[in-house]
Amino acid sequence: MSRQLSYAKAILEATDQAMGLSPDVIVLGQLVDTQSGIFGTTTGLVKKYGPERVQDFPVSENLMTATAMGAALTGLRPVLCHQRLDFMVYSLDAIVNWLGLWRFKSNMKSAMPVTIRTIVGKGWGQGPQHSKNLQAWFAHIPGIQVAVPATAYDAKGLMLEAILGETPTIFVEGRGLYSMTDEVPEQPYRVRFGQAVVRREGKDATVVAIGLMVPLALRAAALLDKEGISIEVVDPRTLSPLDRKTICDSAFKTRRLVVADGTWHSFGAAGEIVTSVVENLGDKLKSKPVRVTLPDSHTPMSSALEPKYYPDENDIVAAVRQTLK
Amino acid sequence: MELSHRTITQIGHYRDMDLTGTAPDTLLKLYFQMLRLRRTEEALHQEYHPADEMRCPIHFCIGQEAIPAALSLHVRPDDFIFSHHRSHGYYFAKGSPLRELFAEIYGKATGASGGKAGSQDISHSDTNFYSGAILAGAVSIAVGAAFGFKHKRTKQVSISGFGEGCTDEGAFWEAMNYAGKQKLPVLFVCENNRYATFSDQLKRQADDNVSARVRPFGVRATQIFGNDTVLAHRTIGAEIERLRNGDGPALIEAYTYRWNSHVGPEDDSANAYRQPGEMEFWKANCPIVLLGEKLRAAGLLTDALSARYEAEVAAEVAANFKFAKESPFPTDTHWRQMNYADASPLADRLLGVATRGAGFDQYQDEAKLGPY
Repeated sequence: MSRQLSYAKAILEATDQAMGLSPDVIVLGQLVDTQSGIFGTTTGLVKKYGPERVQDFPVSENLMTATAMGAALTGLRPVLCHQRLDFMVYSLDAIVNWLGLWRFKSNMKSAMPVTIRTIVGKGWGQGPQHSKNLQAWFAHIPGIQVAVPATAYDAKGLMLEAILGETPTIFVEGRGLYSMTDEVPEQPYRVRFGQAVVRREGKDATVVAIGLMVPLALRAAALLDKEGISIEVVDPRTLSPLDRKTICDSAFKTRRLVVADGTWHSFGAAGEIVTSVVENLGDKLKSKPVRVTLPDSHTPMSSALEPKYYPDENDIVAAVRQTLK
Repeated sequence: MELSHRTITQIGHYRDMDLTGTAPDTLLKLYFQMLRLRRTEEALHQEYHPADEMRCPIHFCIGQEAIPAALSLHVRPDDFIFSHHRSHGYYFAKGSPLRELFAEIYGKATGASGGKAGSQDISHSDTNFYSGAILAGAVSIAVGAAFGFKHKRTKQVSISGFGEGCTDEGAFWEAMNYAGKQKLPVLFVCENNRYATFSDQLKRQADDNVSARVRPFGVRATQIFGNDTVLAHRTIGAEIERLRNGDGPALIEAYTYRWNSHVGPEDDSANAYRQPGEMEFWKANCPIVLLGEKLRAAGLLTDALSARYEAEVAAEVAANFKFAKESPFPTDTHWRQMNYADASPLADRLLGVATRGAGFDQYQDEAKLGPY
């Protein structure tokens, strides 16, 4: 009987195990020391490890990040939690001007192993200030890794890898993934950055799906399968570094490409992935690549508009059909 | 008495320096340290043009030697200093090797940051010195280091050096709030030199008294005449002692003055931002002159000793230039490695060694994908 764990519980387990393995791991964030514990991802840690290692923080996002950075210089390994990515924007100075370039400007002598967890809301009227996914901004900055786990298994492995590794990492978590379960081994394990995974093998088209779009792509694959169309679903798992090899190998095999990315259309990860494939094997593709993304618009609150705004599996099915025309 | 740049020039010639209680050899060290820093900065300033071999912005600290000299006698090797862009004084205060500062400015591989950072971003992690040009960001990181010291229950102190311009930024006040609330062992050293580039603090803020505004956050604050090196030494020493004993945080606001342009050796007086008589006041109250007068009157500093100090410093400066100029330029272009750590020793030890992802290896080896 395989061990099933939710995405949220997998994050909690990874943090718990990292704290157990290293006394230097600490957790900082608003309300991380409460019972509700960031949607269950920090619940119980304060009881187990004490308030010095699991600390609430003022609503000072920039200082929280800088505090983690300074603490990292003294040997600690802080894990930061932002309940919504939108608040994290206050910490861009710390991330862009300091954290990302710390290793570089110290001539590789100084490291800041800081893990920044951030949650992207979706649905129930989250609206324009609780649902932004700015993963592409972060992936654009040298010196920072960006994880976009889509499964509980990856969430745990990437989290352990980030906390106990040496490169600062931003962990973009889809709130919509939190209750999804997956087989998760109990013992600690690592998922290395820069290693995409083929979630489903297929031959007619490649769908590269990011984060929350992975389960939708798998649903689309099941729908298309009924019509005898076989699609390959590739999950990059991390945007920085990006495993262009696995993506290009798959596109070369199927000769058709769809990229499903639940962020804005323009200047995003989908554009980067399409470009990478076109640069390497554009003349081998049988049809033009298609992006499935959000429109270039802020998120509407109304439950009447949300379904029109967020793409679903039918949009992916339609995109695949377009590449097959 | 509360100090303000509005009224400070009314002091005329500063006569309050008190040598009582400071050992003679300490006084001489303070003098020597200031002289070293002054001559170093003067030499760099002089050499900058027309040679144009130092190809980075430099924010000189001539006139502001008192605080670095005073700090240099109190910081321990395991204390951290985080500096703003006017970094040389703080680098010097931390005891970081000056020849690596010179080499860094020259963009050489032997520089403190391998020639990658330059004057305004220099760091020397072996001696726990860090800097950066985005003002309050460095103050915030200093608070983080203090958090780490408190967490680990060490007696280390985190020192944050900045100017009053930094207090315009919101990040500064987040730092005050948290440091005060958590009683962190951090010493904020505000060298209030009145101007952020060409902008008077009184154009940007209601008052030029930073101390009064940090106190309600739980940050103990002291104003001092920042060119009184002996007072600076006494004040910094007392505060660092309190911080080591868990009685933090503290801020020292040292009123001082920048003699040079905001950046580089070029004259920026066309911007006409200084008040009439101000430069003359501060030059007349040069920290080196003020201490020198007292030391001579006390019979501690003689012409012979002064000449010996000058010769020693001149030789050091010459050696630093020689080292910098003769050092090789960097040639490494492994950009990915410069920005991302290859090794993960702790994860290897605790989680077991695992193979790298294909994407990582592909990037690392700069191998072509395919062939397709």
